[in-house]
Amino acid sequence: MSAQLDRELKKGSAELLILSLLQDRPRHGYEIGRLIELRSRGALRFNVASLYPLLYRLEKRNWIRGRWTEKAGQRRRRYYRLTPAGKNMLARQRVGWLEFVEAIRLITGIKHA
Amino acid sequence: MPDFRGEIRSRLVDVGLSAVRENAIVEELSQHLEQEYARVLSHGASEEEARLTTLEELQNPDLLGPELKRVESPVAQSPVVLGGGRATTMIGDLGQDLRYGLRMLLRSPAFTSIAVLALALGIGANTAIFSVVNAVLLQPLPFRNPDQLVIIWENATHLGFPKNTPSPANFLDWQRQSTVFSGMAAMAPKNFNLTGSGEPERLDGRRVSANLFDVLGVQPRLGRGFLPQDDTPGAHVVLLSNGLWQRRFGADPRVIGQPVNLNGESCTVIGVMPPGIQLPGFDNWQDQLWVPLAFSSEEAAQRGNHFLEVIARRKPGVALQQARAEMDTVAAQLAKQYPEENLRIGAVVNQLRDEFVGDIRPALLVLLGAVGFVLLIACANVANLLLARAAARQKEIALRLALGANRSRLTRQFLTESMLLALLGGAAGLFLAFVGLDVLKHFIPDGISQADSIMIDARVLGFTAIIAIATGFVFGLAPALQASRFSLNETLKEGGRDAAGGGKGARVRDLLVIAEVAVSFVLLIGAGLLINSFVHLRNLDPGFRPDHLLTAKIEMSELKYPDREHRLPFLDEILRRVRALPGVQSAAIAGNLPLTYNGDSMYIGVEGVPDPPPDQQMDVIYRAVGPGYFNTMQIPLLQGRDFNDQDTTAETSYKVIVSEKLAQHFWPGKNPIGKRLKSGSTTAEGPWREVVGVVKDVRQNDFIAPPKMQMYLSYRQLKALAPNALVVRTTIDPLSLAGELRNAVWAVDKDQPVSNIDSMEHIVAGAVARQRFTALLLGIFATVALLLAAVGIYGVLSYSVAQRTREIGIRMALGAQRSEVLRMTVMQGLKLVGLGLVLGLGAAFLLTRVMVSLLFGTSTTDPLTFFGISLLLLAVALLASFIPALRATRVDPMIALRAQ
Repeated sequence: MSAQLDRELKKGSAELLILSLLQDRPRHGYEIGRLIELRSRGALRFNVASLYPLLYRLEKRNWIRGRWTEKAGQRRRRYYRLTPAGKNMLARQRVGWLEFVEAIRLITGIKHA
Repeated sequence: MPDFRGEIRSRLVDVGLSAVRENAIVEELSQHLEQEYARVLSHGASEEEARLTTLEELQNPDLLGPELKRVESPVAQSPVVLGGGRATTMIGDLGQDLRYGLRMLLRSPAFTSIAVLALALGIGANTAIFSVVNAVLLQPLPFRNPDQLVIIWENATHLGFPKNTPSPANFLDWQRQSTVFSGMAAMAPKNFNLTGSGEPERLDGRRVSANLFDVLGVQPRLGRGFLPQDDTPGAHVVLLSNGLWQRRFGADPRVIGQPVNLNGESCTVIGVMPPGIQLPGFDNWQDQLWVPLAFSSEEAAQRGNHFLEVIARRKPGVALQQARAEMDTVAAQLAKQYPEENLRIGAVVNQLRDEFVGDIRPALLVLLGAVGFVLLIACANVANLLLARAAARQKEIALRLALGANRSRLTRQFLTESMLLALLGGAAGLFLAFVGLDVLKHFIPDGISQADSIMIDARVLGFTAIIAIATGFVFGLAPALQASRFSLNETLKEGGRDAAGGGKGARVRDLLVIAEVAVSFVLLIGAGLLINSFVHLRNLDPGFRPDHLLTAKIEMSELKYPDREHRLPFLDEILRRVRALPGVQSAAIAGNLPLTYNGDSMYIGVEGVPDPPPDQQMDVIYRAVGPGYFNTMQIPLLQGRDFNDQDTTAETSYKVIVSEKLAQHFWPGKNPIGKRLKSGSTTAEGPWREVVGVVKDVRQNDFIAPPKMQMYLSYRQLKALAPNALVVRTTIDPLSLAGELRNAVWAVDKDQPVSNIDSMEHIVAGAVARQRFTALLLGIFATVALLLAAVGIYGVLSYSVAQRTREIGIRMALGAQRSEVLRMTVMQGLKLVGLGLVLGLGAAFLLTRVMVSLLFGTSTTDPLTFFGISLLLLAVALLASFIPALRATRVDPMIALRAQ
């Protein structure tokens, strides 16, 4: 896979990944990055240079909102939470993604393991 | 733990983020990297390995910078940093600047109100005076093409009449012989007694040529104007003014064609003129109706009887100079043709407007200049306040610059604040002008044309807007430039201490104070000179005692009282009744009291003195008075006696009382009693009159010019001339007798109008009303200027003391006495004032020259005024310096040192 394709694919899916991770609760950037890496068992990995521009873009689209939060004894950190618009978008992207995967499967004949 | 912030920051250089946004991103990302570093480290990597691994986070085909740039740039979501925005528009900036400016002004209400007040005073004074100038000097006369209209006088300068009223024969010849005018009309003032329905009324009016309103270009609003056939004796038609029509006739259009009783004669109303018609004339003369001039053939032939006013309209394309040249030729012709009456008599052609404006023009221009100065001082003051404030706002400016504001944007922000101030000041000034104009109108002397039309109209509003904006620029530019030019580094190095407070900023503020002092000095000198003149004027001896004198006009109808035999019993009965009123000390009848009338003069022939050639005759003012007049007026009788009941109506016993000046002129060093004179010349017909008394000179026609020669005739010994005034010396407030006086006259004749009831003191005050007007206003403006300058001095010194607290503290710690500190600070103020005084002195010497025509009995360099004003200014400056100086002495060295 060329670096170019990899990037585009990632970008397309990354929004969905981030929105999904924020569904349950607010998380900070490092946590989001780590969770993606851990849950994909290392297959997907965003470094700082790509993760944060993405977060900021989502924030700008008003799907997520970052807020500096202080916890006792800790440095303040920026936590991102899903906005109502983000929840909406997450539901729609999920459907879209499932349709996409189903389409690929129908064509390629790949079956779930 | 390595510091990743530098690495992150280096990648953000080109993104063009606001500082706040950049800091947030750096913080967030560095936290991420630190956590990652800790994680890698915990997996057993060496510190260097961990650091390099972590830094790889920042490496990516998609570089962090470009990616962020795409995300961040389209619409910056960064917090508002004024002057820091990049992609915003001018309009957006303006809105932002305005909102921010308003917030800043609201945050310091003391500063804002002082600045707005200073500006309001300056702008308000300008607006008020400009609205007077606008109405009096700028507004066109309410006639068609008013610039073509001229007024023509006879020039008899050699006799003391540079603008003499033309005689009928001369007017008719001018009319026939001139070619440069499309029309020429004459008019003559005349009083009318309107009787019949309602109270009898005495009205000002005029006899006018039938073509007068055509020449002026005014049409009646109702009915018709005069026709040529109306301009013949016996036409008995009248045009009403709009005011009279509304007041007396209830604006009833059916008045056209109706008869009204004027001076006992029935006249038919043929038309009503539109409102606003004003013709040049005497003070206090308000035309209420017009009748045709209708010369009798006898009158038309009079060349020596001067009583007309002549208005003409230049033909299109004829310049004023051309008109003058032609009238000179015509007059020269007439002088050759009729040397007896016209020798050396020329013609003067003036623009009608100039005649209206009269001698108020220089006064208004001086006042306009004065309020301009006041505004300049107000500007200097506000600029000073802004400079001091800009110094106090160093930290704010430094912060904004550090956050990426650009300097031109900062300058704009500061200018916007100044503009806001100026506009607020303008609005407040407009309000002041509204209020002030109401007050001002009371002081505007009678007889200034178009004073009624003084108001705040579109032109005045425009003027106010322009000066407000200009003002905003003037006082806002220096502080704005200064604020934007200051050095960020210096400020930071000085630990936020005031950079504009020392050095350059202080110098600018000092200069402003010097300028303020200089300008207010000039204003004070101007005001001082005018007030000085006014005092001189008020101290002039009018020749009589004006207090406790009640005056009234009783203009008798010529039909009812056609001759002496009818008049005398009527007047005697009035006097008898008035003298019997409680509170009346004495009463007398006279024809035209001093300072109420400009005419009635004649040449005289003196027995034993050869008649002078026609062009060297001396004009003598004459008045018809009755017994008791001099006593009532308290005009001192220097020699001889008053008229008395022994002065019979027999021509052989005709008597005359002359003024001191006349006696000295004709009989220098001799006893004038018993000498004889007659009107006209020694060879003229008419009876000789014997001098029985000499009285002190009275300021008869003109209060300001030295009195001319005068003589008094007994109205009992005059066939033609009817006296028209009643003067009463009272023991109580004269005006409280007004009602009883009127009733006393009406008890004799219920149709007799009694008008112009006034106290003599008021009449005398009216004679110097113009001078009082200018002196009062300039006095007010100069006081405002002085106060503003004092505030300026105070402000600069207070600020300087506050800035130098530390220095003063050190001095005091090193043993300086309080008195020394006091002296040092006061001297600092006085140095500025001294420089300002020197500059002002020079300027005043130059500028007060424009006031020559306004001064009386005072030179433009009156040393007493200059000295007194210098002292006054110094005293005020001393006071203004003393308060901050006193504060300086209270500096506690310990606190001052610790404060830094």
